[in-house]
Amino acid sequence: MSDFQPVLSARLGKKNSCALATYVADGGYASWKKVLAGSKTGEWTPAKVTDLVKASGLRGRGGAGFPTGMKWTFVPSREKRGEKPVYLLCNADESEPGTFKDRILIEKDPHQILEGMMLASFALDVKHAYIYIRGEMVHGAETLNAAIDEAYAAGLLGTNVLGSGLDLDITVHRGAGAYICGEETALIESLEGKRGHPRIKPPFPAVSGVWDAPTVVNNVETLCCVKHILDRGADWFKGIGRNERNTGPKLYCVSGHVEKPGVYEAPMGIPFRDLLAMCGGMKGGRKVKAVIPGGSSAPMLTGDEMMDVPLDFDGVAAAKSMLGSAAIIVMDETTDIPKAVTNIAKFYAHESCGQCTPCREGTPWLHKMLKRIVNGQGKKADVEMLLQVAGQMGNGMTICVFADAAIAPVLSAIPKFREEFEAYVSKSATPGFDQPAAAGITSKVAERTAEGMHS
Amino acid sequence: MSGGANTPVETLPGQPPVGEHGALSCGRELSFSPGAEARFQKLLTRYPTKQAALLPTLWIAQDEWGWISREAVDYVAARLGLSSAFVWGVVTFYTMYNRAPVGKHLIQVCTSISCHLNGAEEVFHACRRKLGDLKPGQTSADGKFTVVEVECLAQCDKAPAVMVNGDDHASITLENLDAFLSELK
Amino acid sequence: MAKVTVDGRTVEVPGTANVLEACRAAGVDVPHFCYHPRLSIVGQCRMCMVEIEGVPKIQASCTVPVRDGMVVLASSEKALAARNATMEFLLINHPLDCPICDQAGECKLQDNAVAAGLPVSRTVEPRRQFPGYDRTSIGPHVIADMTRCIQCTRCIRFCSEIAGTGELTFIERGGHTIVWTHEGKELDNAWSGCAADVCPVGALTTKEFRFRKRVWWLDKAKSVCDGCEIGCNISIEHRDRAVYRFLPRVNLAVNDFWMCDHGRFRAEELNGNDFTRPVLRKAGTARETHWGEALDAVKAAVDAAVAKDPASVLVLGSARLSTEESWLLAQLFKGTVGAPQVEFHADLGPERRIKNPSVPGGWLVGKEAAPNSRGAEAAGVARAGKGSALARLLDGSYTPEVLYIADAEFTSRASDPAFILALCRAKTLVVHGRRTNLLTDAADVLLPVASLAGKEGTFVNVLGLVQRFQLAIVPPPIVRTDLEVLLHLGKRWGVFDTQWTAKSVFELMKGTVPGYAGLGWDSAAVAGNEPTVSPTSAYDVLLERRLSNPAEILAAAVAEVAGGEK
Repeated sequence: MSDFQPVLSARLGKKNSCALATYVADGGYASWKKVLAGSKTGEWTPAKVTDLVKASGLRGRGGAGFPTGMKWTFVPSREKRGEKPVYLLCNADESEPGTFKDRILIEKDPHQILEGMMLASFALDVKHAYIYIRGEMVHGAETLNAAIDEAYAAGLLGTNVLGSGLDLDITVHRGAGAYICGEETALIESLEGKRGHPRIKPPFPAVSGVWDAPTVVNNVETLCCVKHILDRGADWFKGIGRNERNTGPKLYCVSGHVEKPGVYEAPMGIPFRDLLAMCGGMKGGRKVKAVIPGGSSAPMLTGDEMMDVPLDFDGVAAAKSMLGSAAIIVMDETTDIPKAVTNIAKFYAHESCGQCTPCREGTPWLHKMLKRIVNGQGKKADVEMLLQVAGQMGNGMTICVFADAAIAPVLSAIPKFREEFEAYVSKSATPGFDQPAAAGITSKVAERTAEGMHS
Repeated sequence: MSGGANTPVETLPGQPPVGEHGALSCGRELSFSPGAEARFQKLLTRYPTKQAALLPTLWIAQDEWGWISREAVDYVAARLGLSSAFVWGVVTFYTMYNRAPVGKHLIQVCTSISCHLNGAEEVFHACRRKLGDLKPGQTSADGKFTVVEVECLAQCDKAPAVMVNGDDHASITLENLDAFLSELK
Repeated sequence: MAKVTVDGRTVEVPGTANVLEACRAAGVDVPHFCYHPRLSIVGQCRMCMVEIEGVPKIQASCTVPVRDGMVVLASSEKALAARNATMEFLLINHPLDCPICDQAGECKLQDNAVAAGLPVSRTVEPRRQFPGYDRTSIGPHVIADMTRCIQCTRCIRFCSEIAGTGELTFIERGGHTIVWTHEGKELDNAWSGCAADVCPVGALTTKEFRFRKRVWWLDKAKSVCDGCEIGCNISIEHRDRAVYRFLPRVNLAVNDFWMCDHGRFRAEELNGNDFTRPVLRKAGTARETHWGEALDAVKAAVDAAVAKDPASVLVLGSARLSTEESWLLAQLFKGTVGAPQVEFHADLGPERRIKNPSVPGGWLVGKEAAPNSRGAEAAGVARAGKGSALARLLDGSYTPEVLYIADAEFTSRASDPAFILALCRAKTLVVHGRRTNLLTDAADVLLPVASLAGKEGTFVNVLGLVQRFQLAIVPPPIVRTDLEVLLHLGKRWGVFDTQWTAKSVFELMKGTVPGYAGLGWDSAAVAGNEPTVSPTSAYDVLLERRLSNPAEILAAAVAEVAGGEK
């Protein structure tokens, strides 16, 4: 680990890191220029770039961890798609609670992102790429726009880029405050100028995305990785990381009760224990009570469960959680877990797009129940009810996996910290009323079930 | 026959007037200034459909007039060939389009999980109290401050995170809240 | 085509069908809300969940296209549990308005809550409400109650995809989502009543029907709207001799699933007979009489006039009469009595349109404000044009001895004093009437007749399709149908048989009336295609008959009409 040199964050602390001149001085745009020049001689083809990305083992850094190179191959060939253009959308909607890695890349090294986009656009035959950036990142959008202007001025974007015969435009598109627009199809809807309602899949964006054209949505960090893969090769990228399925450098966002919260870069698969050490350990030397390893959508783990988990896609999955956006939220022993889960439930209730019934009705219901419990009006049956209600919201019940994300905290925290929830209920003003049991009595008395009723 | 078209249709007494979810009027006709018009025209060249320019156009409108009024909705809808209802549906989906005038300083306090773990809710409540017992979303009488609660601002390492208009402010705690607010006055 | 197996039964469905439709074809009614055969698929309600073999997660069947060889488990435990879950979610916030909600009895939420879901509620949380957006007018004909809304977006999709007006939109998001308009613009298109039709719950209801009648008390008659020449198939919903409302019936060749507000909200105009007995007016005094005296008076006046000059009798038919009635009119006066001037006039009204994908151009257009000018013409009643007797009457160059008007409302001008003055120059004015207007006030012989609800017969619509409308309400005593009046009148001249019904006249005339050859009174095309009447369930029938090519639908309908009895 000690020989690991920062890759993605290498330039973040430099003076004028945003400026084109410094970026080029640090070797930036060398790959873009090489690929463009090679595109005329045939030395570089879109397929070659895609193969390189595939060989590198790069998996999406936005949360899903899908192999990036493979995603690119889902775009139909020119013969199959005819005149339809292909679009590349850079997902800069970073809104997963606990995540702040893309922000720092945007604000401090925008050209890294642009170069990654350019190389991806070459691989995908994209003529116009968009950066969908969340509305709150006002300065981030300004920084990106300034960098794009510099790129146009230097001939790195526009028509006949650097004489290659290829055209490429990049446009920054600002969102306006909706977490769900980080979901790729909701992002596409929002880009098209609509409410951010996720779409039914299939069709998948690679076949029919924005404006009915094949579309690839990639995260900011993923595209930055692409630039470095083209700079230093697939083998180099694959050589970083715990194993062949979890490769490359990774930006980890650590927040919560650690001494030094922040973005830390390490090889994929660094054990949590080591990352915690990089953060200076826990504030006040307290114990780790619980950790959410991948943004609020990831199941919660206890401190003990977390300590030796390798922080990569497969490592965290093996621990029954997910790496997601590598947003590691660390909670110490002073944390009131029911209140934390209530806070997360409020987030999901606010951010549900409202399209489909289980999520629209379920997320506020979970929040209301949790609020009632932590406000001292819990009922004996509530804890079980929370699990039952959460259990009927995910797994295909909804159009997108927002509901699966919303239920993860409930379904993981309650079994692991059950006593805390039950303690609230036992102190409640009215613990005695057992709704489901009472309902059971009622249905027996009324001697009715749904069977036998007219249809 | 009883009932029918003349059956009285009223809301219960004490309920808010119809229009709580409706667009407020700004009382005048609106159109883009030359600067806004130029930005708008440039915008249209970046998208294959006019509709795709809706969110950025609404940003131009908000930059121009500070908030999205009924007239702004109608204007933007007309410029883009969309129905006003559609545009209003988009405006109300996103949290950042103001649907009423806001104070000079729109203070947005994040209370998502990482900020919650660092006492953000207390900061939010203290902020409102100190600025005149403001309700969430209410503007102070002198028109200077509006305080709202927002979700994760992607500044979790600097929790509790606060934005004022478009600017990020790091680690606003109960300890430094007074100093932070006095800088804004 | 694709072979799909649903709960063990294999059916063949078009390759463009979705799994929900395949289930319906296999006889499995999967509960749903947001799906509608004429609206885009959104898959939002999450009610239609089924299990598909080989697919690990539960699926919303309306969003899944069929594949040849697909095996669907629509009634497995997993599928039922999923539907129960969705139903529970819908009911946690839905108000217990059934006792005061117009939709009760034809409410998809009620129906599906019986088919799926728990029999008891498990929630104790306060329900969300939308004060100010409940029991609130959203348009000239529609009341919205957003607390009842289940956010299925059928109304939004109807307004943007069918009406093309886009007044409705989702506002806010998440659990606060409601459907509304933008300030200053109401739900005000020509088909706003259809938005209330497609709403599966009582979130959108019509003002005209508000609190009028519980729907399970309503008797339904399959009829045809007489508001314009399109001839939308309707259901006259009535009880105790009163018409309460019209609902559209599905007819893929004519009005598809829809009807316009003009037609729909004329329903209650069918109620009311201002005249209960025939009236004779002499020297300014009117007295009620019985049919015998009234019809004898008519015969006497007509005979006397014909004896002097056959052209001194002008018979005005109407494009609002059935073909059978027009035929009797023509047969009697032109044939038997020998008065050749039997004409009709049809108003051109505001253009009415109905969206129908099986029609070239996608819209069926009605320019005439009456349903049956084609039938009138085919039956031998001439369209009054330049130089016609009516024209000469109006311009003052002709004054008939006897003016026989078979429909006091044959034109909207019948309320126009100048128009009436012209008609009143006739020495003897005989009028079939139901509601008071200037014409009935001026009639020398006033014969009380029934409304559309009180009779049966056929109309020929703008496409040339013969459509039969059924009797809804037997007219009150003494009041007759136009058909009966003409039969009794004919008897006095020794023709017709007062025992004839509209059906027997149909059979008699069909050999000679163009467009009627080979048709059967009970044939599907004539009697109205779909056996069900309520649009909330009618489209289930469509699922069975859905063809992938809309042109085929029209061709099939035309073939039925032209090809003879079924």
